[in-house]
Amino acid sequence: MFVRNKWMVTLLVALLVVTLITGCGSKSASKTPESGEKILTIAAITDPGTGDVQLTTEEYLIPLNIYDRLVEAVTTEPGKSELVPGLAEKWEISPDGKVYTFYIRKGVKFHNGEELKADDVLYTFDRMLDPKTKALNTDFLDMIDGAKERMEGQADSTRGMKVIDDYTIEITLVEPFAPFIACLSTPAGSIYNRKATETAGLDFGVKPELTIGTGPFMLTDWTYNDQVILSANPDYFRGKPDIDKIVTKIIPDAETQRMMFEKGELDAFDCDNARSQIPYFLKSEKWKDHIVSGPRVGTYYYHINQAVKPFDDVRVRRAVQYALDRQLLLDTLYYGTGTIAKGIMAPGLAGYNPDLPGFPYNKEKAKTLLTEAGYPDGFQMQITQTVDSPSTLKLNEAVQAMLAEIGIKVEIVQMDEAAWFGTRREGKLPMYHTNWSADFNDPDNFIYTFFATKNSVARSFNYGNKHVQAELERARTMIVPEERYALYRELEETIVYEDAAWIPLFHLNHLFVVQPRVKNFKVSWNGWSNMPYYEVRIEE
Amino acid sequence: MGRYILKRILVSIPVVIGITIITFYLLNVVPGDPVVLMMKEHISPDVLERVKAEMNLNDPLYVRYMKFIWGALHGDLGRSYKLKRDVADLIVEAFPNTIILSFSAIIIAWGIGIPAGIISAVKQYSFIDNFFMGFTLLGVSMPIFWSAIIMQYIFGLKLNLLPISGFSGPEYIIMPAIVLGWSSAASIARLTRSSLLEVIRTDYIRTARAKGLMEKQVVFYHALKNSMLPVVTVMAIQVASLLSGAVITESVFGIPGIGRVCVNAIQNRDMPLLQGSVMFTVGLVIIGNLVADIAYSYLDPRIKYD
Repeated sequence: MFVRNKWMVTLLVALLVVTLITGCGSKSASKTPESGEKILTIAAITDPGTGDVQLTTEEYLIPLNIYDRLVEAVTTEPGKSELVPGLAEKWEISPDGKVYTFYIRKGVKFHNGEELKADDVLYTFDRMLDPKTKALNTDFLDMIDGAKERMEGQADSTRGMKVIDDYTIEITLVEPFAPFIACLSTPAGSIYNRKATETAGLDFGVKPELTIGTGPFMLTDWTYNDQVILSANPDYFRGKPDIDKIVTKIIPDAETQRMMFEKGELDAFDCDNARSQIPYFLKSEKWKDHIVSGPRVGTYYYHINQAVKPFDDVRVRRAVQYALDRQLLLDTLYYGTGTIAKGIMAPGLAGYNPDLPGFPYNKEKAKTLLTEAGYPDGFQMQITQTVDSPSTLKLNEAVQAMLAEIGIKVEIVQMDEAAWFGTRREGKLPMYHTNWSADFNDPDNFIYTFFATKNSVARSFNYGNKHVQAELERARTMIVPEERYALYRELEETIVYEDAAWIPLFHLNHLFVVQPRVKNFKVSWNGWSNMPYYEVRIEE
Repeated sequence: MGRYILKRILVSIPVVIGITIITFYLLNVVPGDPVVLMMKEHISPDVLERVKAEMNLNDPLYVRYMKFIWGALHGDLGRSYKLKRDVADLIVEAFPNTIILSFSAIIIAWGIGIPAGIISAVKQYSFIDNFFMGFTLLGVSMPIFWSAIIMQYIFGLKLNLLPISGFSGPEYIIMPAIVLGWSSAASIARLTRSSLLEVIRTDYIRTARAKGLMEKQVVFYHALKNSMLPVVTVMAIQVASLLSGAVITESVFGIPGIGRVCVNAIQNRDMPLLQGSVMFTVGLVIIGNLVADIAYSYLDPRIKYD
């Protein structure tokens, strides 16, 4: 009996050991980099999920590196951008601002060897509008003539798009839409290959070998929740990238990321993932000269829900605007790495107004406003946030203390992310803090996003100034940039200073620490963590 | 025995169906919408409503549930809302990683826990008993995320002996297995010790000793087997629980296992992925319990199943 058991146990242990060794070993073999390759290893908190940019609104690591767009928004200097020709060599706009003619660059090859043609552009944009795609980014293209019918399933194609010849495509809009070119420069404007995408079907964006673009890198390996590998495209039309591979490891824990970076297992560390480490890196002899920083074209702010009492009273909203000591918050919580915001738009954004007065900290003025509004002893309110954001909690706690000084008793309510976004979409979150970075360089991307009639409830602002909302619709159709920007400045002033519908906080810099061997690492103009790595170099 | 196993499998069918109904219902009544979570900051009401309609999310609950069950019966668990991948593929891809982590942890847990429990019982109140009990107490008391970070700091960053995170070779599994195994070893050791001490004091052990058997034979051939019943119960629960995913360990060490898949599914209200994961986990727990019950009859011949 004992002998039989012993053999069984031995067999079991041997089986387990073999399973473990072979299980890990096979994986290891497929991931070991070939020697001599220049590999940039970075980390992400979450897996990108899909490489099909039409199906995501935030995971842009893969799209920004494996696809190209007709027009590209390039970072010219920290916090500044410029629209330059991409897959379109040039374009023309009709005098009425409705017809756009794009001339496609010749000789550009997709990763499968096919040459880029105008039909691929038509296919890509039509696929986005096809309801079967279930695309999430249609806002960037829904101004095209016939888009509405296509999205609602009443048409089999998009009326406003026409292939003139292999290298020319004409796109007609319903009415002039000033930010159209800028919209096409967003990741959502990435161009696909008709043949490859149709063949891949539902596996496009999921299976590396089926996810084809024209970009400087190719998606070559992807293990969900483990790592994504992009390899250099030797036939890239602007020339092969200096780095051979980008390995993105999915590391959900920020502290683990930091240790891996310090050990040299990562080439870059995104300080947005662990702000508390910023002072350490800034003071470290080893790392302080390897910090890459850039302003982000983005604004950190507090939202106010005007449908929740007593925020329906503009004096109460204004009181909160004056009750925050922004400089103290910036210095203590963000180590001074940014500037104080005075409005909605951020420096670097087209139409930005540097002359807004701002809200100097004034506790007495805030108290007076509350008294005028009938709340001399303050009131109780809630600030909501998601449970997994310690940096937001710190800010909320500091603001809780500041508002307590004028008599407002704040309860901080932490919610599951799904519940938080769900409640916000219903227009019921009373107050929250978050930030917004530019998708494209136009004031429309900031002001329309929050205060247009259709968006205001979905973000729980419940903003009701009909005049502003009508003007926001009009501004989209204006053709002369200077006139548009002047109108946006006027609207911004009304929203922030007259209606007190927005509590600006800061424009924070985005800091990365990189290994000394990493060169030409630039913070993207808009400050996104996802960025193109084409120009990054590795020097051993 | 065959009839018993068949009966248990048949009984588990309503359990699985009941759990899928409860999960489906709960996920639909709690706030949060999968499409809202896909759009987050870029929410657009028009797009939201159109995509929801295309994804049939406006259908009545029972219709969606029946569609899911119909698909599952045909071997199709559907596609993840957020990840756009086949749910079965995601589970099949993640589960081997969880098996590797779990069995490595189990080898450590049982390899330390059972010997430590035996030695502590045999040498009760000695230095070694106190040492093992202290060591295991430490293991069970320390939160996994904390012991993980400490180990990463010492063995990964400072001593440079092991990789800090990732899953690209055998060396990557050592630290997570120790962290996870240590906490499981503690309960095994303590249970083995108390159970063995109880058995050692029984009459038949005294008889065995009176017969002149060596202490080793008394402990290993007579006492240990009879003291293992409660330990096997805990071991079965541990196996099922580890196989359904050690979320914290997987997250801190960047292991792409089933636990992270489940948590991501819950966070994203990704119904097909969550339903698939839940069905899979339920299956594991049912099998784990069945194996434990069969092991009882082997360890204690008085237990018979008809």
